[in-house]
Amino acid sequence: MTARPRRNKNRPSDAPPDLRAERETFVRTFLHKGVELTEDLLRENQGLEAEARRLRDENTRLRAQLASNDAIRELLTTVEALERERNSLLNRSDELENAARQTEARYRNVEQELNDLASLYVASFQLSNTLSVRRVLRHLCELLEQLIGAQSFAIYVLSIDGKRARLLSGRGKAADGVDELPVDDASFLDACLTGVPKIHELEERDAAAARAAPLAVLPLSFDGEVVGVITIHELLSHKRCWALVDRELFKLVCAHGAAALIAANLYEAEAGPRAALDGVVAHAAQVAQSLNPSEPGHPVVLATKRGQ
Amino acid sequence: MRVLIVDDSSATRSYVRAALEGESDVDVTEAASGFEALRVLPRERFDLMLVDINMPNINGLELISFIRQSETHRGTPLLIISTEAAERDRARALSLGANAYLAKPFTADELAQAVRGLLDVTRGLTREKST
Repeated sequence: MTARPRRNKNRPSDAPPDLRAERETFVRTFLHKGVELTEDLLRENQGLEAEARRLRDENTRLRAQLASNDAIRELLTTVEALERERNSLLNRSDELENAARQTEARYRNVEQELNDLASLYVASFQLSNTLSVRRVLRHLCELLEQLIGAQSFAIYVLSIDGKRARLLSGRGKAADGVDELPVDDASFLDACLTGVPKIHELEERDAAAARAAPLAVLPLSFDGEVVGVITIHELLSHKRCWALVDRELFKLVCAHGAAALIAANLYEAEAGPRAALDGVVAHAAQVAQSLNPSEPGHPVVLATKRGQ
Repeated sequence: MRVLIVDDSSATRSYVRAALEGESDVDVTEAASGFEALRVLPRERFDLMLVDINMPNINGLELISFIRQSETHRGTPLLIISTEAAERDRARALSLGANAYLAKPFTADELAQAVRGLLDVTRGLTREKST
């Protein structure tokens, strides 16, 4: 047998130095790489941890923002609701203010009407509470002077044929004038023909004075017939314009003045109030019977039956 | 409140009564002349007097003088109501002791305002005196 060549006595441990160096280099490199890798992993880990922290922070911030946004949204909703409520309250306030203004205006009107009614009540009461011609005239003059503020005026009655107007009473220059005038006198012809008061605005008072025309001509009518005329020529100097109630008073004087004068004039011939009513029952019965000939005439019975 | 109205015009007296009695607690006494007022004044006391200037016999100015000399009535508020609205008439009435002046014709509202104003002023003066 052939003897195998003897191996080098050097075992692996007996590797050549360059291999050992190579191995050491390899191991060192390996270790170095391991360290590097570990360091890389550590760095990466640190980076990931930082990223995770950042993300957590971001998350927290976003959550906070979201919560804050929700709060803002809620607040905005509340603000909108409050805004709506405010507008609604403002509208309601406007409505109430308007209503208050209307009520105030209405209140003023009612007060004005009540004031006017006081004048009209007094005028009506004055004209109807006497049957003396002298007192009726006095009351007419007082109403014109005290409630209307007339300083110069005249009260005329028409003749039976309606062609002449005779002075009955008055105050101031108007009453010092002629005692009788033809009805076709321009100053009161219109009023006599139409039965409608003719009232000039007081701004025209200078023009009216220049024409010597009255400021107001008030026809006294009864049963659709003009029986007299009141002419107002001058007003108290401090009276600057007609008041609304003046026109109402004119209407009342026109309507009630004639009746008051006629009644007072007829009553002058009577011996007293009871005498003036003498025969009134028979007269009423006669009237009732003429209205309803089939009924035997007692006026009270007839009136009651009609009222049923 | 007791009010005396002195005016020879029954229309004015009735109008003042109608206007003032609309206010609560107002009791109006009427006098148709200065003489009538002189008969009423010694017997009664008033919270306010309204006096017309133009009256026959004793006119409003004479009546004011009497009222202001009277022990009982010298402090009563006095409102002149007159068709005379000239400044001299007003000044004369005020110099004799009237407290305020209202020209006729007046509305019920004007009268109520004048009365309220007058009563407010006189109440204020009374309070000042007492304190």
